[in-house]
Amino acid sequence: MRPPLDFRGFTAVLYKEWIHVLRDRVTLILALALPTLQMLIFGYAINTRVEHIKTAYYNEDQGPIAIQALNALAASQDFDLVRAASSRQQLQSDIVAGKVHVAIDIPPNFSADVLAGRTAQLQVLIDGSDSSIAQEALASSSLIGQALSTELRPQATVSAAIVDVRPRMLFNPSLRSANFLVPGLIGLIMQIITVFLMSLSIVGERERGTLDQLLVTPIGSTGLMLGKIVPYVIIGFVDFLLALLAMVYIFQVPIAGSVPLLLALGVCFLVAALGIGLFVSAIAQNQLQAILMVFGFTLPSVLLSGFMFERELMPVIMQWIGLLIPLTYFLEILRGIVLRGAGLDALWPQVLAMTALGTLLIIAASIRFARTAS
Amino acid sequence: MNDAAPAIVADHLTKRYGDQTVVDDLTFTVPRGSIFGFLGPNGSGKSTTIKMFCGLVAPNSGQGSVDGHDIMREGDAVRASIGYVSQQFSLYSELTVDENLEFYGRAYGLVPARREQRKRDVFELTGIGRFAGRLAGQLSGGWKQRLALATALLHEPKVMFLDEPTAGIDPVARRELWDLLFRLAEQGVTLLVTTHYMDEAERCSSVGYIYNGELIAVGTLEELRKLPGVESPGTVRYAVHTEDVMPAFSAARALPYMKDTTIFGRDLHVVVGADVTQEQLQRDLVQRGCAIAGVERIEPSLEDVFVALTRNRSDGNGWET
Repeated sequence: MRPPLDFRGFTAVLYKEWIHVLRDRVTLILALALPTLQMLIFGYAINTRVEHIKTAYYNEDQGPIAIQALNALAASQDFDLVRAASSRQQLQSDIVAGKVHVAIDIPPNFSADVLAGRTAQLQVLIDGSDSSIAQEALASSSLIGQALSTELRPQATVSAAIVDVRPRMLFNPSLRSANFLVPGLIGLIMQIITVFLMSLSIVGERERGTLDQLLVTPIGSTGLMLGKIVPYVIIGFVDFLLALLAMVYIFQVPIAGSVPLLLALGVCFLVAALGIGLFVSAIAQNQLQAILMVFGFTLPSVLLSGFMFERELMPVIMQWIGLLIPLTYFLEILRGIVLRGAGLDALWPQVLAMTALGTLLIIAASIRFARTAS
Repeated sequence: MNDAAPAIVADHLTKRYGDQTVVDDLTFTVPRGSIFGFLGPNGSGKSTTIKMFCGLVAPNSGQGSVDGHDIMREGDAVRASIGYVSQQFSLYSELTVDENLEFYGRAYGLVPARREQRKRDVFELTGIGRFAGRLAGQLSGGWKQRLALATALLHEPKVMFLDEPTAGIDPVARRELWDLLFRLAEQGVTLLVTTHYMDEAERCSSVGYIYNGELIAVGTLEELRKLPGVESPGTVRYAVHTEDVMPAFSAARALPYMKDTTIFGRDLHVVVGADVTQEQLQRDLVQRGCAIAGVERIEPSLEDVFVALTRNRSDGNGWET
């Protein structure tokens, strides 16, 4: 019977797959455009500069400086003062009810303090459940506080601000930044598209009846697998480049670490992700089964890889399952290189695990394929 | 390459799926350079047998060899010596004719110069060259089969397995494909062809008939006609030429000495006791109001042979050849 590791026919399969890929223009365009497109859509959903945040205020002071502060807030594009609360409790309940995302609390002696040259406190309550809104509110309110301080005491020699903005985050105190999400999004989208494309390849041959004709040739099972993988590695790599360009130039997330290292590890990740697609393709009997298997794999990739939730907070068994997903390793690699400027010295365990996982998957797919083929 | 060995040997080949025996204890040989017709109803195990020879299905027991190579142990040598044309079109529709050939040439490991030479050869042999730049999916059924044949011939296999190569193609294309097969046989290629067409089967050097996974008859047409059970002892077979076959069919069946009646186009084939003469049969049918143009004695056709064999088998009168 067929040996599982047989590289013959690799260039023949590569030749044919390349033609397949280039001839099916719609699929090719989708494969190249979808990742960047999805990243732009979801990236913006997370990261759009937020304006006109619904804001409530409670002005207990009623003095001239309080009016000035509220006018400054209203004048900025960031806050819309939509509700005047009648009590401090109402401010809180407005946020809880979701009527507003920000509440300004001006204490009774605010104007008096400022006029007397003392530091006056302005409390800003921020709904942290939506991190992008919360970040914008946080940054914007402190900017307005600084501007007010400068305006009210232009010749100030003391460094202490005269208007001290005290933000208080409700619900989600440790805000996860968009910088944190965009690199993750790149990894997730790349994994989904490559696994999908790959999973349909062998099962497609099975379904169209072209597989038997392939199997009467001396093409080896590993040669077949690799010949099918390489075109998708190239497509995936172009996707990766486009996504990185969008990340740097559209989302303004700079890459802190080495770009060549990031690109090289991206290829490792693609091989691992394609290994999953290949494995699905080798066990599925038809394309519908393959699609359902990929679907079954996608949700855990979103939930268990660390894309959405901290892996450290998961039950141990869930953490183990996460280790079977190439994205888990690649997320750490991506965030490590992009955000913290990490190098291979810090990331080698992930790199090793991811590469091993990919190699194992391809070998398993080859063996599985060699068995079912005969 | 053991030139003395038959091109194809099946030795008690058996394939089971679960508790269903798809191919049951198949034994036959095909000499080199001959065309072996493999017949039998749908689902009788023809395709499975071919797939076992091509290494696509592993037999549960028994042995087989192709061109002297054991199908179980010498997969590589077997693959190098066989060409396979499967039942459904199994090339790449979105690749051109030339690209399909190029791919298979590479898959068989032919070096570029040899590949080009072989492409020219099969272009010439099959005539597919004029469609070289056309997408395979846009070819007609007959040309698709020629492309499949051309592809399977690229590496100059000694043995060809063709699974219903003429199913669903028009009569002219069918005739031309058979001319091609004869030319290959002349060149010394051994062919195993499955078909449902009796006229095709009659053109084969020898035929095997498989029914419910069992090979119930194998041999040349002459040998099959002489098999016991095809013609019961003491019977003769006549063709009745008639203007109106249906009334003649009913009338013939009603005759007391009638043993079997089958409609063949506008003729009626009947089997009667050897004591019934042509004249008596014609007279009896005319008496019953049939317009009879003539009656003549005939040999059983291959179809008659298989109808008889199948009936014997379903009646439980099993016999070995």
